[in-house]
Amino acid sequence: MKIEKTFLAIGILILSLMINTSVFADKDEEGERHGRHEKHEKGGRHEGEGRAIVVENAAYKSECSSCHFLYPPEFLPKRSWEALMKGSDKHFGENLALDDKTGKEILSYLTGNSAERGSSEWAGKILKSIGSSAPLRITEVPYILKEHRKIKPDVFKRKSIGSFSNCGSCHTGAAQGDYEEDSVSIPKE
Amino acid sequence: MRQKIYFVLALAFVVLLLSNIADAGNLNAPMQSLMSKYLKDSGGKAFSADDGKKLYFLKRMHSKKKEEISCTSCHMDDPAKAGRTPVGKPIDPLSPATNKERFADPEKVEKWFKRNCTGVFERECTPKEKGDFITFMMSLQ
Repeated sequence: MKIEKTFLAIGILILSLMINTSVFADKDEEGERHGRHEKHEKGGRHEGEGRAIVVENAAYKSECSSCHFLYPPEFLPKRSWEALMKGSDKHFGENLALDDKTGKEILSYLTGNSAERGSSEWAGKILKSIGSSAPLRITEVPYILKEHRKIKPDVFKRKSIGSFSNCGSCHTGAAQGDYEEDSVSIPKE
Repeated sequence: MRQKIYFVLALAFVVLLLSNIADAGNLNAPMQSLMSKYLKDSGGKAFSADDGKKLYFLKRMHSKKKEEISCTSCHMDDPAKAGRTPVGKPIDPLSPATNKERFADPEKVEKWFKRNCTGVFERECTPKEKGDFITFMMSLQ
């Protein structure tokens, strides 16, 4: 009985050490890449820490979400949104056929909530990872690629996922701005 | 005997006519006036469901996407089924047979013709093509 308890105690100790090590390893890695920890506390737009803005703009929703996932504006910097909206008649081979008013409304929503203004932890990490570049695809943002590096490319081709750009297929809380690992559920097919 | 054949033919003609009227009738008033505009802009040539069908299935090489595409790339060979966008997002069925919201709002219809004709054919569609396309889609009901 006593021996069993000792083993249990040692077991718990080892387990907790392992958990701690992995957490620290992750932090160190982040530290290396992005300098020491930064807190992004700008305003209280978010429900909780680690939440991206909940997309609420009607024009952005109706014009963009028919074709692709409604990306949170804070996943790209202002300059990227400006470039994307400027080229809205040549949007990856499609003419979005936006009238002036709608185009302006979407642009102002996206730039007004871009990565520079986002208060989620991801906004800051995304900004740091892209440096001075202006990526046009969220799927090419170094930080986002890094976070998904362990997922095999085949997984994104599964029928219910479709492609790497369908964030909501696996990030079950995406509509609420939740991209935490805890709420990820990868469909099997 | 001959009379009988005439009768059957006449009956078939009436049925055909009625079904055409019924198809057109399925479009709401704003859509019917959009169709009239297409008709006027294309010189009054009657729309053909067959031509619409050909357009729907027409495959062509896109100069920039470097792949063969058609309406069916996203809307499927059977438009009554759900489609998928190039990035894999589901699209509600295009056919009014299974999706009553289709071809009901002229603004939406025009927007999507502009988007998708450019996306597939790298040009806007002509009024005749649009009229043919809608005629084809409405004939699927």
